Amino acid sequence: MRPRPEFTLHDLLYNSLASTPEKAAVVDGDARYTYEDLERESSALGAALADSGVGRGDRVGVLLEKSWEAIVAMVASSRIGAAYVNVNPLFKAPQVEYLVGDCDTRVMIGDSQKLEELGPKTLQTAFYRGAKPEGHAAGSYVDVAEAMKGDGLKEDRKVSESDLGTILYTSGSTGMPKGVATSQRNLVVGAQIVSTYLENTPEDRILSALPLNFDAGMSQFTTSLRAGAALYLLRSRLPGDLLKALRRHEITGVTGVPPLWALLIRGARSLRENPLKHLRYIANTGGRIPQANLDELRNLLEPSGTKIFLMYGLTEAFRSTYLAPEEIWRSSPEQGNCIGKAIPNTEIMVITREGREAAPGEPGELVHRGPTVAMGYWGNEEATRKAYRPNPLAQPELLDVERVVYSGDTVERDEEGYLYFLGREDAMIKNQGYRLSPEEVENLLLGSGLVHEACAFGVENPAVGQDVIAVISLRNGGEDGAVDRVREYVIKNGPPYMVPKEILIRDELPKTGSGKIDRKGISSAYSTG
Amino acid sequence: MVSSNGDVRAAIRGWLQENVTGGRDVPNDEPLIDNGVMTSLQTVELVVFLEDTFGIVVEDEEFDEENFGSVDAIASLVESKAA
Repeated sequence: MRPRPEFTLHDLLYNSLASTPEKAAVVDGDARYTYEDLERESSALGAALADSGVGRGDRVGVLLEKSWEAIVAMVASSRIGAAYVNVNPLFKAPQVEYLVGDCDTRVMIGDSQKLEELGPKTLQTAFYRGAKPEGHAAGSYVDVAEAMKGDGLKEDRKVSESDLGTILYTSGSTGMPKGVATSQRNLVVGAQIVSTYLENTPEDRILSALPLNFDAGMSQFTTSLRAGAALYLLRSRLPGDLLKALRRHEITGVTGVPPLWALLIRGARSLRENPLKHLRYIANTGGRIPQANLDELRNLLEPSGTKIFLMYGLTEAFRSTYLAPEEIWRSSPEQGNCIGKAIPNTEIMVITREGREAAPGEPGELVHRGPTVAMGYWGNEEATRKAYRPNPLAQPELLDVERVVYSGDTVERDEEGYLYFLGREDAMIKNQGYRLSPEEVENLLLGSGLVHEACAFGVENPAVGQDVIAVISLRNGGEDGAVDRVREYVIKNGPPYMVPKEILIRDELPKTGSGKIDRKGISSAYSTG
Repeated sequence: MVSSNGDVRAAIRGWLQENVTGGRDVPNDEPLIDNGVMTSLQTVELVVFLEDTFGIVVEDEEFDEENFGSVDAIASLVESKAA
């Protein structure tokens, strides 16, 4: 049978359903779900979402631990033309409420315990997993397990590749997190591109170790769906569970961020005694692997045939470049921080401040052109115009309707066309694979009501990327134990990676000439002691 | 090396108070992983502390959520090794 053309996320499902209906699509703990299960239960949940008033283009929040239900929720939303919004399960109520307000999410599918933490009337309808939530976070409640057993859709809604498929929330260098509006086409083309260079097949058993709210974590699901492979859900991030999952399921591929590999290396002895001979590839994203760790990973994995892909991507355009396994030697510090070449069907330009193409060896901004360029930031015209701009190298005969993404990353290209990452100019903090803007941390600190002024910044620490450091002044001069109370508030109201490693107190924070808190000065004073 | 069960739990709780919770004492049965009390990197630091303090070795495969889910679970692991 001829496969369907791939326009939407659920087209990917139908093709795998036709070729491998009874094969495992998702394995969650001891439970195994086939492509037929995914079709049937996403149809039932789609019908229930439509019944609760979700229309085409509406957002459906997904506040679930990584689970079968979280997978079904994405496909169900797609089938009724709605956009799913995967929420970081580490978020506490203030971050969830911000996101619900930012993209006007009225219906959410969530774990009961997380839904209970939300303020009254946050949602119109909540689909809960677990016991019925107490409190008044939503106007009405539906048991998601029941909804997934109900009657299915008579037919899918009319959905095209131009429709909004999902919103991926990401932190930038300033302000609160922004929602990257990602079309069905972006999702499908992203899956096509990644599954092409990773050479995924129905025989693959892919370990999902990253959260689904993270672009690369979600991309593992979409590529697995397209390939008709099996996706194994791993919630734990402890090295023992990771090792056991890799062995028990004979995993063939896994994508991770640098801290995950640090955990894997902890099992060096076990890996040497009993190599992972089924593991076909690992792919890194979300930052550079410290060279010592990369060398060790190569020693532990390459002899038994595992290939190592190094990827570079920005949420605003999904994936941008990758360094193929046979070129991995180029990423050593002596060679410079090589991020490889553009992914298939994509063009990476290096643009100077004057707006022309940089010569080999000349620094410029990485600018991404291709079919994964997203639709912009949801509800944020200013930020969208700044990052999504006309193609600077477009032919003059063509009207500049095409948008490309300016990454904010400085790179250079060598004579052979390989790209090298040189740095970022802004204050974005990267901690444990998560991106954070200093303002998010500062707002959280100020939210305690105990803090008068706050300044947050990142300090390099190869083990985690950057440590979050905060310098604050206290309201009313502070009282005994105030720092402990601030710290306790932050732990209770923010995800762990947002909690500063150190909180330092000053009577007053230094200001710049324009009266703003001098983050640069404070951060360099900290670094030089 | 370990004089009583209480000492192991107290030592773990002390370490958590100092390095993770910012002074808050953690009940012995509070879930540490599900609630996001500890990050995976903090768990790695905790293992180093346990190995140094109690003279034990935590095997790679033992370093999982079952053994590190609560103060009680961690103490049981330590006690089974120190016995």
